[in-house]
Amino acid sequence: MTFRLRAGKKGVELRLHELEATIMNVVWGKKLSSFAVSDVLAVLEKQREIAYTTVMTTVARLHEKGLLIREKDGRRYLYSPKLSREDFLQATARTVLEGAIDGPQAIAMLSEKVSEASGADLDKLEALIRQRREELER
Amino acid sequence: MSEAAFPVLGAAFVLLVVLPISALLTKLVLVLLERGGSAGALDRLGLRYVLLTGSSALPLAWFMSAGIHQAESTRSAFACLVSHDEAGSCFEPAFFASLLAGGVLLAWLRATWQVRQTPVARSAEGEALSARLECLVERESALFRLRGRVLATEQLDFTLATGGLLVPRVFVGVGFATKLTDAMLTSGLAHEAQHVGSRDPLRYLLLQLALALNPVGRFLLSPHVARWKAAREAHCDREAVLHGAAPLPLADAIVRAARPVMSGVAPLGAHDTAVLELRIGLLLAFAERAPVRRQHENHQSMPAALALLLAVLLLPHQTGTSPLDVLHTSAERALTYLLF
Repeated sequence: MTFRLRAGKKGVELRLHELEATIMNVVWGKKLSSFAVSDVLAVLEKQREIAYTTVMTTVARLHEKGLLIREKDGRRYLYSPKLSREDFLQATARTVLEGAIDGPQAIAMLSEKVSEASGADLDKLEALIRQRREELER
Repeated sequence: MSEAAFPVLGAAFVLLVVLPISALLTKLVLVLLERGGSAGALDRLGLRYVLLTGSSALPLAWFMSAGIHQAESTRSAFACLVSHDEAGSCFEPAFFASLLAGGVLLAWLRATWQVRQTPVARSAEGEALSARLECLVERESALFRLRGRVLATEQLDFTLATGGLLVPRVFVGVGFATKLTDAMLTSGLAHEAQHVGSRDPLRYLLLQLALALNPVGRFLLSPHVARWKAAREAHCDREAVLHGAAPLPLADAIVRAARPVMSGVAPLGAHDTAVLELRIGLLLAFAERAPVRRQHENHQSMPAALALLLAVLLLPHQTGTSPLDVLHTSAERALTYLLF
């Protein structure tokens, strides 16, 4: 998965355009494990006026970006999310951190006032490592 | 003005005016380098080190060399240093050079003494750890630099750190090593192998000495020094991974090493929260995607720094000592004007 980070955005929208983020929020929020474009459209139509083709194009783009897995079901595709919202946000955080190495953000991180890591800080870091190991072993 | 006061005036001018100005200019360059879009946190570490150290070392080197040349301006560089006829004329620069050399020697001896004070483990546990370390070093190609250079120590709360100036060695705490798996220990050693290969204890000592002679510079440059050290640790993590160390065991070892607080040494890097978060974040990312080797790393920085130092030492021989002469005559005129 490769993404461009979007300036001034937070959370899911840091890596996704508005409609992409809206669709992923619907998928994660409604816990849709397997869905067709029409399922998402039905939810979105209650919130705004939107065309089927727009949703179809955006869902296809999410599939190309690696966020959705799809399989053929007769004449249509059925989609399912590849990552949970939490996994996606963690992957985003890692991308931000890794990207920071080629930019001034890491310098900004290191500019913070020196503070000795507490036991709680170290516990948090150990938990992150453990979680990453579990993800990779899956 | 008494001629005897001039050497003191010259030294004071360099220490109180030239070195702070040099530190200020260095700070400006470092700010530009660190904020520049193309320079990441781990980029241009060699250049940043040369700037940090050179901001004090180069003006001092020029001052010493100019002092010697001012004393014997008509002689060759070799004669200036060795075969001068009137030894008395070189007394003042030689006196300051001796003071400087004495300071360097003391710092050197202190650093060496600290390493020698680290007790090598002789107990059964220590012997077992030594055998384990030897086995790991022999087994892993990434650790070839550490053959014969890894020692187990029973010093209380010691984790994993590199010491020694000319022949750096890695010390591993017996208590700490028992908490680590082989993968963690190997990765930690691979990180330290980078410090050994780059003779980082010597680099750190030279940087420390350079800043000790420049109090204003130390104040101005300390944030950049902290960032350089943090980036150097992260760089060693990345190089260790590039040489085959496993990122997650290394991250684990770093966090475990940060737990016991040990005075005077930052084992396996640092205790600082921001630095730890950056390094662990990077290693988590490396676990997903291997890091890319940078082409323009530190290999040329030390030869370039030595060449620069030599050039500065020879500069007064080629260009004369006019700044010192101007300072001398200006001080005399100013005092004459003030006193008479």
